[in-house]
Amino acid sequence: MARLKVLLLKEWRESLRNKMVLFGVIFLPIVMVGASIFMLTTGEAESDPVARIALFNMSLLYFMVLPVVIPLAIAVYSIVGEKEQTTLEPLLATPVTDTELFLGKALASAIPAILVNWISFGVFLLTTRFLVGGFLMQTLTLPWLTSIFGVSPLLAMFSVGVTMIVSSRASDARAAYQFSSLAVLPGLIPMIVYSAMKTLVDLRLVLLEGGLLLLGCFIVLRIAIRLFRREQILTRWK
Amino acid sequence: MIQAKGLTRRFGDLIAVDGLDLSIQRGEVFGFLGPNGAGKTTTVRMLASLIAPSGGSATVAGHELGREDRAIRSRVGVLTETPGLYKRLSAKDNLLFFARLYAVESPEKQVEKYLKMLELWDRRDSLAGSFSKGMRQKLALARALLHEPDVLFLDEPTAALDPEAAKTVRELIGSLRTNDRTIFLCTHNLDEADRLCDRIALFKSKLLTEGDPQSLKESMYGRRTVVHLANSKPGIEDELRLPFVTKTEWIDGRLLVSLSDPITENPVLVRRLVELGADVQFVSELKVSLEDLYLDLMEGNHGSA
Ligand SMILES: Nc1ncnc2c1ncn2[C@@H]1O[C@H](COP(=O)(O)OP(=O)(O)OP(=O)(O)O)[C@@H](O)[C@H]1O
Ligand SMILES: [Mg+2]
Repeated sequence: MARLKVLLLKEWRESLRNKMVLFGVIFLPIVMVGASIFMLTTGEAESDPVARIALFNMSLLYFMVLPVVIPLAIAVYSIVGEKEQTTLEPLLATPVTDTELFLGKALASAIPAILVNWISFGVFLLTTRFLVGGFLMQTLTLPWLTSIFGVSPLLAMFSVGVTMIVSSRASDARAAYQFSSLAVLPGLIPMIVYSAMKTLVDLRLVLLEGGLLLLGCFIVLRIAIRLFRREQILTRWK
Repeated sequence: MIQAKGLTRRFGDLIAVDGLDLSIQRGEVFGFLGPNGAGKTTTVRMLASLIAPSGGSATVAGHELGREDRAIRSRVGVLTETPGLYKRLSAKDNLLFFARLYAVESPEKQVEKYLKMLELWDRRDSLAGSFSKGMRQKLALARALLHEPDVLFLDEPTAALDPEAAKTVRELIGSLRTNDRTIFLCTHNLDEADRLCDRIALFKSKLLTEGDPQSLKESMYGRRTVVHLANSKPGIEDELRLPFVTKTEWIDGRLLVSLSDPITENPVLVRRLVELGADVQFVSELKVSLEDLYLDLMEGNHGSA
């Protein structure tokens, strides 16, 4: 597994030098979190606690969206980037195993996605706690916490799997990005369901979501693992 | 170092490599020549255990293909057709990444050794994306050498380079020859193969012929002596009547004589010509280029396969 670490460090080193990736991983969360804090601290919500709680509740949805969108850029560039630079063959000529390669690519985008999401969540909580007040924290019910800490990593994995499949078929980063954005839409269903339910998110619903996502991840990652075999990469990928 | 028996690779209906037999020794520089689409890259990919053969077997660096693929990969180095470097990483970081994947003992030292050897040390911190084609090829060559492989596969190392860069890389390859490193060089550059290789194989899906460059040429054409005469005397060739002469022809006023051993036969030939009243100006050996051989074979004039 020492090789896995080598692979991951290289992915991240490359990502840090790629503006498109940085945009997806850093800029997007800043904008989303910044916008919700701004809305919570200004405007009509300022004087009305009920409206504030509703807004806070809405804002929590962002932490179900971020894990879906953050991995896109990393995964697309880590795969299409290798194709464009024709680095796959030298990489595959090393003793790295197919599993290590797959895990390297998958975790390179899943780990930052999950961490950045949780960090954004933490920043959001701290900021609103001090700027608005502790009363908001009552909104953080068990279903929400389960969603953010249990379901959102699954969302990230689902998004990673889908993007890996799309990227293995695409030869152009932009096309891969656009197509993946469409293909991960099912991952946003939880958010749509939550927003339809307003404040009444209950644990059974969250567990159902989690179960469905687990199944989705299983299917998507199985397909991805098959595509990420040496033979496939060198003879079938475009 | 490399033994292949009946190595075959199909892509659907297409047979890219058809029953290839090879036996390459430790320390040998082996030239693998063939036109575009001959299956050179496919062969390298199979031998480096990147793709699986559809048939046949091979051992590479003492390990059996298909059973000990990881061991093979850790003992061979591949210079792929395109250099394939991470543009956003520095030359040094590119190499360090691979050194660590190959689990080289002291990555920093190995990287320094090869950057210095390939004269890239001063540019170690520049991004690989800023390198010229020649420098990229050198960096890719350094990468293929980092783990001191037993077998080095070079897939058309000079094809994309200008003549000067090609010369540099070619000289480098010449200097890589050691007693325990086997080099498998794919090329269409015949001159390169002629100069660098101990043995060459001509290949187009199947092995057409193999041997050391000199004896290959001789076996195709025999030895030929060119005689320049001051006054061309048509008909003189019929009067030669020498038992060792297998063939004669006139080309541009010069007499071309095929024989088997120029060292002992040339003096006899010259004496005979003088007896017949010819004014001999020059006697030389006809040089057959590998290109003539290659083109003849590829056009199927001598197709033995
Ligand atoms: N992944 C693949 N799918 C289908 N056919 C392939 C594939 N890879 C190679 N081929 C076919 O196999 C044959 C041999 O290709 P290969 O790349 O090995 O030739 P080559 O000798 O390296 O040629 P070049 O000098 O152009 O590099 C070609 O006809 C090629 O089209
Ligand atoms: Mg080739």
